[in-house]
Amino acid sequence: MSESLADHFAQQAERQPEAPALIWDGRAISYGELQEMASRAHAELEALGLPADRPVGLQARKSPEAIALILACLKAQRPFLLPSIELAPETLAKLFGQAGAGQVVSPADGPDGAVGPGEVAPDEATEAQWPPAGGVGDIAFMLTTSGSTGLPKIVPLSPGAIHHFTDWAASQFEIGPGTKVLNYAPLNFDLCLLDIWTTLKAGGCVVLVDQAKATHGGYLADLIADNEVDVVQSVPMLYRLLIDATRESGGRFPSVKQVITTGDKIPATSLAQLPDLFPNARVFNVYGCTETNDSMMHEFDLSGGEVPAKVPIGHPLPDVDARVEDEDGAPVEGAGTGELLVWTPFQTRGYLDAARNEGTFVSRADDGQGERTYYRTGDIVRRHEDGLLTLEGRTDFYVKGGGVRVSTQVVEQAIEEHPDVVEVAVIAVPDEMAGSKLHAVVLPQPDSGFNGMTVRKHLVGRLARTEMPGSIQIVTEPLPKTSTGKIDRKKIAPPQDRSRVAG
Amino acid sequence: MDDTAKIKQFIVDEFMPDMSPDELDSDFDLQTGGAVDSLGLLKLVAWMESEFGVSVDESELGPDSLRTVDSIKAFIDERREPANA
Repeated sequence: MSESLADHFAQQAERQPEAPALIWDGRAISYGELQEMASRAHAELEALGLPADRPVGLQARKSPEAIALILACLKAQRPFLLPSIELAPETLAKLFGQAGAGQVVSPADGPDGAVGPGEVAPDEATEAQWPPAGGVGDIAFMLTTSGSTGLPKIVPLSPGAIHHFTDWAASQFEIGPGTKVLNYAPLNFDLCLLDIWTTLKAGGCVVLVDQAKATHGGYLADLIADNEVDVVQSVPMLYRLLIDATRESGGRFPSVKQVITTGDKIPATSLAQLPDLFPNARVFNVYGCTETNDSMMHEFDLSGGEVPAKVPIGHPLPDVDARVEDEDGAPVEGAGTGELLVWTPFQTRGYLDAARNEGTFVSRADDGQGERTYYRTGDIVRRHEDGLLTLEGRTDFYVKGGGVRVSTQVVEQAIEEHPDVVEVAVIAVPDEMAGSKLHAVVLPQPDSGFNGMTVRKHLVGRLARTEMPGSIQIVTEPLPKTSTGKIDRKKIAPPQDRSRVAG
Repeated sequence: MDDTAKIKQFIVDEFMPDMSPDELDSDFDLQTGGAVDSLGLLKLVAWMESEFGVSVDESELGPDSLRTVDSIKAFIDERREPANA
């Protein structure tokens, strides 16, 4: 059985050419049509004369044409880098440069357009990590994830990894011919491996949310109801938007059978209202990351009207290996607390820039399995008596907001580049919509006229929108320190509500 | 309070509470600057509708609409109903 997504999609197109593959902007695009679009994109791609031994850089916002272009790359067996379009152009150029992309291409801008060069070109000055050690034969998708220094990290995914994941997802969430799956996430999120790629492989129908309307609760509610969506996967924000949009109308979504919340901790108030919103659905919390895809899952029992105090990440998925280790790297057996390490059949073989694997992908001897490479999640978990895991905290500077992992260290470093900044600390504060928001506390040079506007203007072009601090406090006293003289972020006070902070 | 001052007051109150209105540059790009995200844009539009009596259709909002205080003011000026006075 082929592992190739392109082959499976082609098979579905042969079997059921009239069946809807995508719903976009109120109309259905059949498997047959999408196959034709992919063939056209393939021809247009080849006409660009891209070098055979380099990956393709994709600069694409979600659309049927973008999906057709990805299918074309898969069919041509051309590895591609698909980063977030929210990144600053300079960052994108460097990422494409690092991937060794021969060229950056963008999909047709509509049914009458054609595949063509992207707005950004690969940066020649960035050292290309291509071809990577370990060869290129086993790379299909390359996605990105935030690093704590420098550029986002490029995460290559093999056809085998994607094959395993899509098989698991189709089986677990009952995705088959005719199943309607909502795709809320942006095109470059690993969530799309379920929403879009599992669905197209299995012959289902992807109901695409237009990114431009991703915060319009009314639009989202109508989309789910009108299309009788079966499966919804999203970060908590979608559920908050749906709750708000249906508050007065009392709308519900009886067609939905599987609800998956992922990416951020879902607030208890949202979780409590899911059974009302989705009366016929099983509700799951799924835990994972770009490096490993999903690793843990918990199914909620919300029938009694109670929500757990701490949202569990649950148990490992089938064939996933989860270890909890203490500070010395020794395994914690039974109940206890420690860092979570995972091995999944869907994980990356390592970052494209292999130097960044150090300390993150680690080797462990496993009983009966020999040696395996585990991914250190940086999450501190508690294992309960029944084996259930709950999240307790982080070991480093990453926070998640809006489903995107942001490094507070990166934000601090960017602010520090301003010549008038003496000290800066960035902390995450809870936010009901986004999960977390960033708060920056800055000590500037006295009499520098430095204020919140100075910081914000300085950060434009240095940070992506999702990395911008939501609030900024200018202080006149040095920041609190630990006994070893480092900034003690735990002692930084969160922002006051709505009042001008003195400082 | 003139319209530009009102707009600045709303923007800082809602999105940049650490700042005072006079610190906000009229040509600062609120979106790339991370102050107004897609949710924030909805709040802004709702406020513009209630404060200035303009009605805004989603389809009127292009990628460059409402990015700066100046462009918000221009948008309102183009669309507001004749003054009550």
